[in-house]
Amino acid sequence: MEHLVEGMALGNVTEVKVVLASIVAALAGYQVFLMAVGYGKLRLPFLGSRPASATHRAVGDAIVVVTVVVAFMCISYFGFDEGEDGPAALHMVFGALLLAVLSVKIVVLRWWHSAGRFLPPLGITVFVLFLLTWLTSAGDFLAG
Amino acid sequence: MVASLLVALAIVAIVIAVVTARLGPTSVAELEARQDRLKERLEQREERREERADRAGR
Repeated sequence: MEHLVEGMALGNVTEVKVVLASIVAALAGYQVFLMAVGYGKLRLPFLGSRPASATHRAVGDAIVVVTVVVAFMCISYFGFDEGEDGPAALHMVFGALLLAVLSVKIVVLRWWHSAGRFLPPLGITVFVLFLLTWLTSAGDFLAG
Repeated sequence: MVASLLVALAIVAIVIAVVTARLGPTSVAELEARQDRLKERLEQREERREERADRAGR
């Protein structure tokens, strides 16, 4: 599996992961903005709530796909190391929490409609976890 | 909706440009060339140090 990931990234696994994670973190911020418009919290003359919500869904689908790819690269190439401490340990915790909360959000969106009132807090939680996961890995790497 | 999707694409393009610029060259050829230059510089420094040591020893 490690060789597959290395081949896919042409040997630059960390760099590809950093770029993809940064894209996802930036798009997560855009998602919050789109839903603020979608829920009518933010009224803009050039963007209605319906197109904002539709874009939120389309971008969200893309984010999920990229996040799964990044998680796959991360787990199969770097793995879980119990001896880790500092940002790496926090990254593992935030990453696992992110995948769990993102899964719950997808379940609520697709099947568990009665829990729809929890979507805004779930969305905010997903956004915060995206930021924390990025900060403890890609952000840390980019900061040198 | 098309405009807001284009904004998302613009965000992706900007992030790729900024992050790759921050990461610097990652191609194997460029990294090897950089390593060769570094090795050459270290060798030259070592040669100069030896020359100076020889001159001081005389």
